[in-house]
Order: sequence, then structure tokens, then C-alpha cells
Amino acid sequence: MASRQFATFEVAGQLFGVEVDTVQEVLSYNEYTPVPLAPPAVGGLFNLRGQVIAAVDLRVQLGMARKALQGPVMNVILRGDGEPVSLLVDKIGEVVDLDDERFEPPPDTLSGPTRELVVGTFKLDGRLMLALDVNQAVDTYRATT
Amino acid sequence: MEDLGEIVAEFLLESHENLDQIDRDLVALEQEPNSRDLISRIFRAIHTIKGTSGFLAFSRLEKLAHGGESLLSKLRDGVQPVTPATITVLLAMIDGVRSILSSIEENGTENDVDIDSILAQVHAQMNAGEAAAEAAAAPAAEAPAETAETAETAAETPVPLEEAPPAVRPEPEPVEEQRKPIGELLVESGGAQPQDVGSALAQQLEGDERKLGTILLEEGKAKPAAVNEALQQQAPKRSIADSAIRVDVDLLDTLLNMVGELVLARNQLVRGVMEIGDATLVRSAQRLGMITSELQEGIMKTRMQPIEHIWSKLPRVIRDLSNSLGKKVELVMQGKETELDRSLLEAVKDPLTHLVRNAVDHGIEDPERRIAAGKGPEGTLTLRAYHEGGHVAVEVADDGAGLDVDRIAQKAVEKGLLRAEQVPNMDKRDIMAMVFQPGFSTAAKVTNVSGRGVGMDVVKTNIENIGGAVSVDSTPGEGTVWRLTIPLTLAIIQALTVDCGEQRYVVPQVAVLELVFIDGNSTKIEYASGAPVYRLRGKLLPLVRLDRTLGLDVGGDQGVYIMVLQADGRRFGLVVDRVLNTEEVVVKALNSRFKDIGLYAGATILGDGKVGLILDVSSLARRSHLTADADRKSLEGSSRANAAAGTGERLLVTAVGERRVAIPLDTVTRLEEFPRERIEHAGSREVVQYRGQILPLVRLSHLLGAYGEEPEGDTVSVVVYSEGGRSVALVVDRIVDIAENSTTARRDAEEDGLVGTAVIQQRVTELLDVRRAILAADPNFYSDLENDEMLVEA
Repeated sequence: MASRQFATFEVAGQLFGVEVDTVQEVLSYNEYTPVPLAPPAVGGLFNLRGQVIAAVDLRVQLGMARKALQGPVMNVILRGDGEPVSLLVDKIGEVVDLDDERFEPPPDTLSGPTRELVVGTFKLDGRLMLALDVNQAVDTYRATT
Repeated sequence: MEDLGEIVAEFLLESHENLDQIDRDLVALEQEPNSRDLISRIFRAIHTIKGTSGFLAFSRLEKLAHGGESLLSKLRDGVQPVTPATITVLLAMIDGVRSILSSIEENGTENDVDIDSILAQVHAQMNAGEAAAEAAAAPAAEAPAETAETAETAAETPVPLEEAPPAVRPEPEPVEEQRKPIGELLVESGGAQPQDVGSALAQQLEGDERKLGTILLEEGKAKPAAVNEALQQQAPKRSIADSAIRVDVDLLDTLLNMVGELVLARNQLVRGVMEIGDATLVRSAQRLGMITSELQEGIMKTRMQPIEHIWSKLPRVIRDLSNSLGKKVELVMQGKETELDRSLLEAVKDPLTHLVRNAVDHGIEDPERRIAAGKGPEGTLTLRAYHEGGHVAVEVADDGAGLDVDRIAQKAVEKGLLRAEQVPNMDKRDIMAMVFQPGFSTAAKVTNVSGRGVGMDVVKTNIENIGGAVSVDSTPGEGTVWRLTIPLTLAIIQALTVDCGEQRYVVPQVAVLELVFIDGNSTKIEYASGAPVYRLRGKLLPLVRLDRTLGLDVGGDQGVYIMVLQADGRRFGLVVDRVLNTEEVVVKALNSRFKDIGLYAGATILGDGKVGLILDVSSLARRSHLTADADRKSLEGSSRANAAAGTGERLLVTAVGERRVAIPLDTVTRLEEFPRERIEHAGSREVVQYRGQILPLVRLSHLLGAYGEEPEGDTVSVVVYSEGGRSVALVVDRIVDIAENSTTARRDAEEDGLVGTAVIQQRVTELLDVRRAILAADPNFYSDLENDEMLVEA
């Protein structure tokens, strides 16, 4: 039975996951430089070992209000296409091994911005995990309505 | 390559470096044929190659190098003079050595390279040696063409070793060759007798293992002081060769990453220590922080190399090409110490070479045509590199015939790149930029160098690939300037950090002319119909508020700073809350998602580890609507008699006697105050000396017939208007204000010298006929620009 590993994290109480291969590292950081005139989904820039990384506010991408960037915020740093990019999340979960049989396409009732970011649903014990489309999730020029 | 021993690989690498140096030295030798230093250096380098190739059993290479060495020894001994023909042959010999080296590198043998024709040339030169100069002149005429061909093949043969890890070492010269024997030094300084040194040497040969100096000392043939001095003389030469080492770029990259990790660990440590609050720990952490920052900076700098690195190959290129074309070209290099990141240097190399070849081939005319055009027979090619507005600019400038704009336009129409009716309305520079279109070439005949219509578009693509830009400007008869603007990705720049709102931004210092503090009393921001301006020494400086531009909360006008900036030839003031300090920052490329914003040239890591955005001064200038064209057009427009015709125009309101006279602000170049006693007379006119020019004055009070009391005071206020290198000054009693002509209540002029009257700021204000006023000051003002009819009317 084919299985995949997902790194999981929470945003606004919902569990999300991305495939482990796409994740470079996870870390908490507390100083972000805002970028005026940038798309609203850009939370800010931060210094990752001398490299400038853009942090994408997943809340905004999911159609919610911006996350308050006060105190440490968890970053899921994705390898991205050529340069790393970070997703700002509320809480880091564990890495889970998931069989493909637990997978289902997103429910029809899921709509709005979240629907565009989610490729499917995994049924975990006691809760659901939404698997994110990594490219969509970091695309800050996506129209968020 | 696998079966190549390490020794061979090292030999290849070192020889390539030596050859590059020989190339430069040979071209330099041609300029100063009597330089014995140069000859000896070339000789030594060839000698090293010969020696090593003999050792490694590359017999053809050895033979070729030996030929070159023999010719050089004749030059060195002064048996034969250095002529352009000898240089050409020697360069051909070097190219031969190069192709053998490439062949060795590719397939491990040297057998398929033909050396006989080169050797024949070398021998011909040596035989021609003592014969008179005429004999040398004949091969000189043929040889260059051959060299050019050789150069062409050499350029096309891939020479992968050149791409090998860069040498940080400046002068690859074997230590042994550089050091003079101590015996020789002692004899020269008189510290020992030649025969004593001779016998000491003989002892060494017989098996005495003591050093020469020791033998002389112990036998009492030389004084300790003299030997010490001689040893010291030897020492510094060694240190030159030892002062630099070769480092693998991958190793540097690894180090860079590790330093990055160190910075992060430091930041975490510092935070932890701050929480604990132990004073000793805090001090240690701060010290660690400083060391880490310096280390990071140092590693960054190792990647920077002066542009000289890629320029150094160009003298040879130019020499070969100009010889084969029968042209004379002098090469001037400015700013060769300008540093660029290594990866960018690589990317710029080929485009730059192409531009240089193109400039020699098409830019600079042959000597006859130059003389016919009244220029010196020798053309000048200038390479210039400098930092500008957060970029590095690299220019290739020639003093040739310049681009033919009409031909380019015609060609562009023929090729369907432009429509014929577009051309008349196009800016000259836009037409010139057509040469960067794929498949475009105006060369009348195709040479083997350029004119095949490939090249300029490739130059453009290559430079744009690294985020740069290419432009061209040209003046007919005076020359052409090709300009590469290269971004500073990874480059280190001097920058000013400023505060705006709660954030910190970085402004490249090259763009900053001066700083002005606005206290709201003696210095203040004024508004011309909502547009902020500042009077900088009498001249109006348009202002851009950084907070407004960035869409932040707009702050007050007091207690702020104006940074006077220059970009794209325009000057403007940027209003920021606070200017902190200048520091060297490392420019990081900004994620592509922020390119569309256009306001940021990059980002950097500030001293506190936070990310700071670097402002793009050129785009700020554009945002302030300061584009050169718009400005020029408005000047041209208003200098015609329809000045102040439209509403919404900005006006300078002046007082002339009891009257208020408005002058369109666009026509105002400067506001000045002159001491009354500086006004002199030329004929019936009043003039002042101004910036090395004679500036004609016209008193508006006289012109408008407003005779009244002359205003009191030692100075007069004038409004200076300049166009096309000429200036006139209009004398007014007082500058009142700057206002917008938003009123519709206006009447056409009934009086001479005015275009009408309008109500401005609730007061009747006369609108000056600027053209009439200017002609009153200087009847010839427009004579260069327009026809005589106009003058009659005046």
C-alpha cells in the first residue's frame, strides 16, 4: 500500500499538511520586515542565515484577516521553486505517514479560497487533515476574495 | 581528464594564467618596446612553460616554447628591436601554446596541433632580425591578418580551464625565478668579492651542504650585516608570491552558508542571554555578535572581484582586431577596481567583449576617414565602470562616427520592426535601441567580426538575464556610448539607513547628493498646488514623501529630513523621518514576487539581523513624475507664446512695482539674488557675470511699463531662464509665491509683454509673455533655434 509522509500544522484550528519532501525546515521567528505595497498575503521578510525569505501569511491566503506578527510566529519553510519561501502558521503538528486509502478529494461543501488551495482530505484518527497545493499556497498574486 | 595526473592539471591551470599575463605584457611591450622588465617577465614565463613541458614530455609544446624563447632572448639581448611584427609573431606563438594546452586537456595529447607554420614565422622573424627595418615591415603587413585568424580559432576553441576556480593570486610567478641569488646580491652591494662567492659556490658543488651565506660568513669573506641585508632583499619578493592563495569557489560558498548558520545561532544565543540578563554573558554575546558580523562580511567580500579581471583580456582583442582592420585604437580604462560578484562578472564577460569588438569594427573609423572628419588618426575606446544608483554601470565608449539614426529607422521599417509613420514621432534614443532587436544589423558589409545581425540582441538577452539593462546613446560624428547597467545582486554598497514610519529603509549612497534637515522655520517644505517643493539654494527641488509613496501613514512636515537624490539625470528630494547612519550593506536579490512593485532594488540584512529593503532611487524618481522627457516637453511648450494658457499650471508669482506678475514655473530654471553692484552694462543692456557667462538682464518693471519706486536693498531678485545653453534673467522686485493657475476668470492681453490676466489667490495677476520678455533681454536668444521671421516680429 502506497503511503506518503506529511508535515502537518494548524491554522485557525484546522489541520493542514504538505508533503514532507517540499519542506526545508520549520522554525519560529519573531522579527519580520513588512513590505509596503506588496500583496496582502505577504506577511513580511525575514533573515534566514543571511538569506532573505518572504513569509506568506496562510491566513490571508485562506481568506481570513492578517495574522498579527507579534512575538514568535511559526514558519514552515518550503523549498519552493529556486528559492525558499515560508508559510506563516499557528502551530506545528507532527509528521504523519498516511496511506493513500485514507485520501479523499476535497468535500463538495468546501468552497471559497480554501477550496483552491486544497488538493484533498486525509481522514486521521479523530480529525481531518487538508493537504495543501504548495504552489497555490505561496502564490501571493492569487486573487483572495 | 581522469587519466591526467595532478601535475599536468596544475601545469595547465598555471600555464593558462601565465599566458594571459604574457598576452597583456606583449601588448604593453608594443607600447614601450624598450622595457627590459617586460621582456624579462615574458621570457621567464615562456621559459617556465618550456621547462615544465620538457619535464612532462610534451615535445611539440617544448619545441614551440623554445622557438619563442629564442626570439625573446634576441629581444632581451638587444640584438633585435621590438617591432609590431615581432609582437604579432610572439602572440601567434602564444596562441599556438594555448591550442596545444587545450588539446592536452581534451584528449591528453598534443599531436594534432600544427606548430610548423608558427615556428616558420618565428624563424623568419629571427632571420629578419639584424636586417634593416624594411625587412621587418613586409611580414608586418601580412602577419596581423594571420594573427586575427588564429585569435578567432583560439576564441572558438573551448578553453574550459579558464572557467576553473578563480585564482585569488595576482602574479603567478615562480619564486625561484624571482629571487636573485644571494651571491649576486652580495657582489652588487659590495658585501663580498666575486671570486669569494665563486669559490663558495664551487664548495657547494663539491658537496658542502652549508648555505652560501653561511660559507661566506664562516670563512670571514663577508660581514654579518651585509649578509643579513642581502637576505632581507630576497625576502619581500618571496612574500609577494606567498601573499595570496588559490581557493575553490565551492569552498567559499560552503563557508558562506556556514557563516549564515552562525549568524542565526548567534541571534538565538543573544536573545537567550538577554532574557537571563547576566552582564558578563551579555558582553560576551555582543562580542560574539560583532565577530560574527565581521566574519560574514569578510566571506562576502571574497566573492567580489574587480572588473579588471574581465577587462584584462580586452587589450589583446582590440590590438588584433584593429590591426587586421588597419585601424588605430587607443584603449582607456577607467574604474577598473570597481568590484562585482564573481558570478556576475562571468555573465558580463561575453557581452562586453562583443561590444568592444563591435566598437572597433563599426564604431571607430579607419585613419583616413578620421582625418577627413578632422579627428586624429587614432581612435579612442574607453571602458568605464562605476557605481550608480544602486547599480554598477559599465560603459564602452568610442569616439567614432556615431550611429546613423536615419539608417537605423529605415532598416527597422524595412524589417517590419517599425511602421514608417511611427518614425517621425519617435525619440532618437528609442530608434537607436532598435539595434538590440533580433536580426538587426546596419553594417553595409558583413565582416567576420560583426555585422551578421547576431550579437546585439544576444548582448541584451544576456544582460537582462542577470536583471540588468542595456542602452545606447550616440552623437553623430562624436561617437557612441554603449552602457550596461548591472544590478548589485550580492554586491556590497555604501548605503544610508533611514527611518520612515516604524520601518527602516536603505538608500544607496551613490544616489545621495546632500541631506537637509527641515525644522519648519528657517527651512521648510512648501506646496505648489499640493505638490511639495523645497527651495534648495534658490532652485526649486521637487519632493517625494517616502511614507506617501509606500502607502504608509503620512507624517508631518517638521523635524524631517530631505535627502537630495539624483537618478537618471534628475534631481529630487526624498522626505524621510530620520537619517541614521551610513554602512556597507550586502545587496540581496529580492524575491521575484516583489519585482512588480518596482520600488525596491533589493534587500539587505541590517546590523541587528533584520531584513531592510533597499529603495530603488530611479523608480522613485519616475514616481515623482520627473522623467526627463516630460520635463523637457513642458519647457519647450511653455517657451512658446502660449505660456500660461492652460489652467492647472504652476506659476511663480512675482511682485513688480504694485503689480503681480506670474511666470510659468516650468520656464524657471533658477531663482537668484544678485548684489546690485554686480550689474554691469554692455551697450544699452544690463548684464551680470554668472557662472562664467554673461547673463543679460531685463527688468520686468521697464518691460511692462511699471515705472515706480526702485525697491530698496542691496540685492535684486532675478528669475533665470535657460534653454539650449543660453540664459537670460528677468529682474523682479520680489518673489511672492508659487500658485496654481486654476481660475477660469481671465482676460486676454491688452498690453504688450503679457498674454493675459487672471485671478490667482483672489488677486488679479498678470501672466507674463515669457518669450517676449526673453527677447527683450536677448534678441538673439532664439536665433539658433528658430527662423528669422520670429525675430522680425520681436
